[in-house]
Amino acid sequence: MLRTIIKKEIQNNIFSFRFIIAFVLLVVIVPVTILILTDDYVRRMDEYSQRQNSVEQYLKNYAHFNRIGTILVPSQPPLPFQMLIRGLNPDDFILENVFGEFNKDSLPVMFPLVDLTFIVTILLSLIALVFSYDSICGEKEDGTLKLMLANPLSRAKLILGKIVGGMLTLFIPFFISLIIALLIIHLNPRVSWSGANWGTFGFILLGAILYVGFFYSFGVFISARHNSSSASIMTLLFAWVLMVLVIPNLSPYIASFLVPTPSQIKVGREVDRLTSEERDELGRKLSKERQQELQKLYPVLIERLSEADTKERIAKDPEYRKAYEALSKETQAAWDEANRIQSEKANTIRQDLQRREEAQTRLSIIISAISPLADFLYLSRDLSSTGIQNLIHFDRISRIWGQAFNDYERQKLAALQKQNPTEDWWNTPVDMSDRPRFIYYEEALASKIKSSLPVFAVLIIYSLIFFAFAYFSFIRYDVR
Amino acid sequence: MLSKKPAVLWTIAKKEIVANLLSYKFFIVILLTIILISTSFFILCRDYKGRLADYELIRAKPGEPIAVIAPNPLSVFAKGLEDPMTRSFEVSVTGITARSGQKSGNLLFSFFPVPDFLYVVRVVLSLVALLFGFDQISREKETGTLKLMLANQISRARILTGKWISNFLCLSVPFLLVTLLGLAILSLSPDIHFASRDLSRLTIIILVSLLYIALFLSLGILISTLTKRATSSIVILLFIWTTFVFIVPNLGTLVAGQIVNPPSVKTLNEKRQQAWTREVLLGIKEKNRSASTWQGHYKAIYSEMDKVEEDYINKSNQLVRWAKNINRISPVASFVYAVTEIAGTGIGEESQLKRAVISYKNSIFTDLASSLLDNKKKDYRAFIYRPRSLSEIFAQGAFFDTAWLVVLNIILFTISFFAFVKYDVR
Repeated sequence: MLRTIIKKEIQNNIFSFRFIIAFVLLVVIVPVTILILTDDYVRRMDEYSQRQNSVEQYLKNYAHFNRIGTILVPSQPPLPFQMLIRGLNPDDFILENVFGEFNKDSLPVMFPLVDLTFIVTILLSLIALVFSYDSICGEKEDGTLKLMLANPLSRAKLILGKIVGGMLTLFIPFFISLIIALLIIHLNPRVSWSGANWGTFGFILLGAILYVGFFYSFGVFISARHNSSSASIMTLLFAWVLMVLVIPNLSPYIASFLVPTPSQIKVGREVDRLTSEERDELGRKLSKERQQELQKLYPVLIERLSEADTKERIAKDPEYRKAYEALSKETQAAWDEANRIQSEKANTIRQDLQRREEAQTRLSIIISAISPLADFLYLSRDLSSTGIQNLIHFDRISRIWGQAFNDYERQKLAALQKQNPTEDWWNTPVDMSDRPRFIYYEEALASKIKSSLPVFAVLIIYSLIFFAFAYFSFIRYDVR
Repeated sequence: MLSKKPAVLWTIAKKEIVANLLSYKFFIVILLTIILISTSFFILCRDYKGRLADYELIRAKPGEPIAVIAPNPLSVFAKGLEDPMTRSFEVSVTGITARSGQKSGNLLFSFFPVPDFLYVVRVVLSLVALLFGFDQISREKETGTLKLMLANQISRARILTGKWISNFLCLSVPFLLVTLLGLAILSLSPDIHFASRDLSRLTIIILVSLLYIALFLSLGILISTLTKRATSSIVILLFIWTTFVFIVPNLGTLVAGQIVNPPSVKTLNEKRQQAWTREVLLGIKEKNRSASTWQGHYKAIYSEMDKVEEDYINKSNQLVRWAKNINRISPVASFVYAVTEIAGTGIGEESQLKRAVISYKNSIFTDLASSLLDNKKKDYRAFIYRPRSLSEIFAQGAFFDTAWLVVLNIILFTISFFAFVKYDVR
């Protein structure tokens, strides 16, 4: 009996007007978007290799250690998955935070890019609602619901059959459009996907199925709570607007209300003040103290001499020279002490800010997890290395490379100094072809999946909850 | 006979209004409007307060070569490009560095669009207006009341107009009430201060929003006159809404990127760093260093970078023009452009600000260069930015966008009129 219901649902839907429209919409939009994004990926790959080449050219003639930090900057190459999903790029953060780049692309701020996540989250969820909003109350209005239940058919089987049948119908246009998209991607000779990419794609697809499943169950649930389909679609659209368009957008603001962080600018100014003005004050105070102590030991230092006279005296008087050296050593120690104390203070403030920002980000993610759109977004972005996880990972491997490069710099400089001690090796072109190179690699698929398991769990639980709600609402439904 | 004509229209309108007021649909819509607009105002006002506090810290002290503009109170309604525009731009010999952006370490702010007033109107109120319009004709046909109405001596034109007017009133009156109430509360708050200039712009923004809502209402009614069943019209309606609000504006930017390829900002930045460090190295390595040899190096850098930067600016302006024009197929994009430009947070204002900062840099450049060589600290003149006036804004595109909204409105209503005249009411 269950199979008959499923077959009936599918046949009912396939010949309907909404199926045709959904089909046309998906089959047109998904391939067009993927086509454009693939083209854009190829172009960015070309630009990336051009940039690498120009860096190599530069390094051949002008590589010098003093300013190498602004030339050799870790950069992320275009990832093959960026043909489907665009998210955050670590390069943008470096441009803003390290270089303070004046030029900035303004268009993406106004209208964010269309990518697969966008299509799935907005289009597919709406399509799911459009297919399911009258699954129960529409049949009641048509009079076919009571006819169906006049048969020896349990309500549980009916509702299960409806949901499964409806979702299968939905997947037909979605999978067809995805297959076309995959064909477009792989027919491009410049593109090749590794096994990890296919694995990622599989898991994101699983997430999309869960996401659609949630919305379909939700639609059936609301349908089983209303007697007229027009009331049902109103409630569904109200809930959809809140879940998809409002709650995710509000979540960071709510989190900033609950876990306020001091503004970065304020902390920046405070850190600046601590490490310059306050440090200068402290340094002067400490060095004065030490000077006074030394003056007790070496009474000669109490005399104040001009610079020229001091030099004369140092040359002539070994006692004075000893005293003077002790003075400069102590002064240096005082300033070092001042630097140390102040930078500790600054670090505490900076770390405190970072901790609070992380707490706020975590809270925003938790709050937004109410919305299945946010859940799917995090899932797809983290699996495709275009999310926050990747930023953290990129930061980590950049630091590791940075350390390696610093070691290389030290060793190389020491070797060069030994060869030629008089040359200013900081500002001389050096052959750096033996340097450690920054190679970006994505996180292992296994660890990405592990970190996205909680989100998968949330989606599964959500779908199950609303399936249960739909079942319980339908049990008590008046089918006459 | 003549005295009866306006009365009939108003009878229809009254009937529609009462029917709406008692409907579930209206209740949900009012709830949504109140929740969203008030939350949006509250959140963005808090955000503005934070940015104003930050501005006090980063504003240029007298004599510093820093270009910063104060946060715009109208950004509470349309955030637009306010964040990139309110960065502090430090001018030095090496160029312009954008320091201290108004950003937060919470990355989630950039994950989702800002829920400002513009967002609420553009996304939610358009859907609401469509929902009001889509079953006007088709449901009356299904329930059989359409033929009963037409059995009277009522012209089809009057029915359609009456329906349009009543639905527009049901939509716009709650919207205006909530907005004006929210506005009143905002102006009472000590954190935010609206100048009279801001208030006049705000009035225009509200009027344009009403125009936008009217457009979607006309679209909804049009769909209703073209379909026989309410169920099929809701499907068409939702897909048209998604296409116009989400797909066309965002896809247009991608398509424009196919036509014009500006070099990426990353490439620009790398070229600049390479040119600078190379010339500095060459300068240090020279045997006879002097002010004039350094001048020579600077000249080399600028001649190289100016070409690259000019190419970048030209190409990206082209990209913006193409993207805007393709996006304008959807009235939603026109609406966004019009409102952000009027509020002063749009693309046009941002490029004007950038041009102003560049010309500021050029004007104090000789002083900067000489102070570097003298090693003396100088006092530079302050950066003064004059935002565009309303007439400039309208001349540079806002008029076109508003006119497009009006024209589209008229077209849609005309088509629905002709469709309704041929409508089978049985």
